[in-house]
Amino acid sequence: MEQQTVDPRKTFGATISALAETMPDVVVLSTDSGKSSGFGEFAAANPDRYFEVGIAEQAATGIAAGLATTGAIPVLCAIAPFVTSRNFEFFRNDVGYMAQNVKIVGRNGGFTYSELGSTHHSLEDYALIGSIPGVTILAPGDAGEMRAACRAMLEHDGPVYMRIGAGPIPDGEEREFTIGKGHYETRGDDVTVITTGYTSVAVREAVAELRAGGLGVELISMPTVTPIDAEIILESVQKTGMVVTVEEHYEFGGLGSRVADVVSAAGIGRLHKIAVDQKNQPSSTYDDLLQRNGLDARGIADSIMRFAQTR
Amino acid sequence: MIEESTRIGSRELAVRARLNVLRMLEATPAGHVGGAMSCIDAVAVLYDAILNVDPERLDDPDRDRFLLSAGHKALAQYAVLAECGFFEKDLLDTYGRENTALGGHPDMHKLPGIEGNTGALGHGLALGSGMALGLRRRASSAKVYVLLGDGELAEGSNWEAAAIAAHYGIDTLTALVDVNGMQISGTTAEVMDMENIAAKFDAFGWRTVEVDGQDHAALYDALVNVPSGGVPTAIIMRTIKGAGIPAIEGTVGSHYWKPSRDELDAAIAVLSDQLTER
Repeated sequence: MEQQTVDPRKTFGATISALAETMPDVVVLSTDSGKSSGFGEFAAANPDRYFEVGIAEQAATGIAAGLATTGAIPVLCAIAPFVTSRNFEFFRNDVGYMAQNVKIVGRNGGFTYSELGSTHHSLEDYALIGSIPGVTILAPGDAGEMRAACRAMLEHDGPVYMRIGAGPIPDGEEREFTIGKGHYETRGDDVTVITTGYTSVAVREAVAELRAGGLGVELISMPTVTPIDAEIILESVQKTGMVVTVEEHYEFGGLGSRVADVVSAAGIGRLHKIAVDQKNQPSSTYDDLLQRNGLDARGIADSIMRFAQTR
Repeated sequence: MIEESTRIGSRELAVRARLNVLRMLEATPAGHVGGAMSCIDAVAVLYDAILNVDPERLDDPDRDRFLLSAGHKALAQYAVLAECGFFEKDLLDTYGRENTALGGHPDMHKLPGIEGNTGALGHGLALGSGMALGLRRRASSAKVYVLLGDGELAEGSNWEAAAIAAHYGIDTLTALVDVNGMQISGTTAEVMDMENIAAKFDAFGWRTVEVDGQDHAALYDALVNVPSGGVPTAIIMRTIKGAGIPAIEGTVGSHYWKPSRDELDAAIAVLSDQLTER
């Protein structure tokens, strides 16, 4: 049976809008991006809580921090590179260094703006924002996880960056979510696989195939990239001795690098990162970009198997 | 606004504050003195007579906000805050020293009375616009004042914020531009000429006023007469870099001054004389 899918941006906008009904301090900022982020209805219904600031991501970030100093909980959502790299110093100083309760959401993360090319890809957001002290990074996968992550983000007192995608994601009811915690999706003794965000959809498919073939894959979903759940990583890798990370991010500075820090500090296990090649990526279709970088379900399964065979 | 009974008048406050700057330089003889001295009269007028901010109630949600967007002029704000009772004056002697609350740029988490961690230029106007929008949302009548440098105006983010503040008709936001005409590598005319500053703000939809930034009466008039007409106000202050310290007044070299003991003594003597004359 085909699983019901939804647009992550619409789910995100609708979820935040619904939560905002009982959280009067939540306000939304748009950089000519609010409707595409799913806030069309919110904007019409709450003109006093919706700030369109035009195509000005630096100022938008500063304004969000300024709003937060007065008790507002600003949510700024736009195309991921524009609210992570374009505005980086404003994120770093006004949101991070000033420790303001601002929620910045990069949509169309990773390769999902595929054919729009490198300017619109976001393959370094975990690295950039993860370098700012005190910023929580969330990357929910399916709609159930996203609904829960949105609530956790708004209820968390402090700066948060959340990456969401664009392609259809499996629908589902809100489920339990704790910031900083990963969870097991499958248990196994041969190899640990850790993934985050919407990439988990392809990873689940790959892992199901490998498990059907007899490989004992322990799959961990890690919807919080920072702070990383070291406990679950150590628990699993101490058992399997081998860990694979999968993410739609450059190979440096993302989930894989954080997992590497944890396992190397403990002196356990071998790590294999499935991530985007550290080179400028072309404009192409989403499927082609994933395939080139071994991030489609087929590529992920093959890569995990090759690594597992080096035991 | 500091209680009327404790007010010493902005002119005397400015002299005492300049002496406080020199006291900090005795702790660490280096700092962005030129810009601090050019804007210190405006900072003194603000804290003496304009800002509704009480050092005993710094968490009052309806307090006025002052942001030093040109955060390197922190010496001026430290000096005035100390004089107005925001912290013990002894703290001035820790300027620039190990783990100090008085660093080269202001830190809201370390020093009472600081509203934002400025220092990287081009941040204050957006922060202040956000504060003003937040205060409006709370139906507060509190005002927001942002002090910018003229060299700083080359940062494009200022103009993003200028457009937004005008678009939202934030008449509780006032920018004070400290036009001392100099920056670290020369005059602003040589480095990056941002004149005509008033015309630029005017074109962005702001109300503008030009004043002598060392003239307390003119500064006071400009600040008390900001109308609530649905547009933000920019007060363009013509100032003298290093004002009040004869040895460095009007020099590019005053930007980051490293005075000798003799130079400090001479400056202290000039300012101390101004206090005794009163």
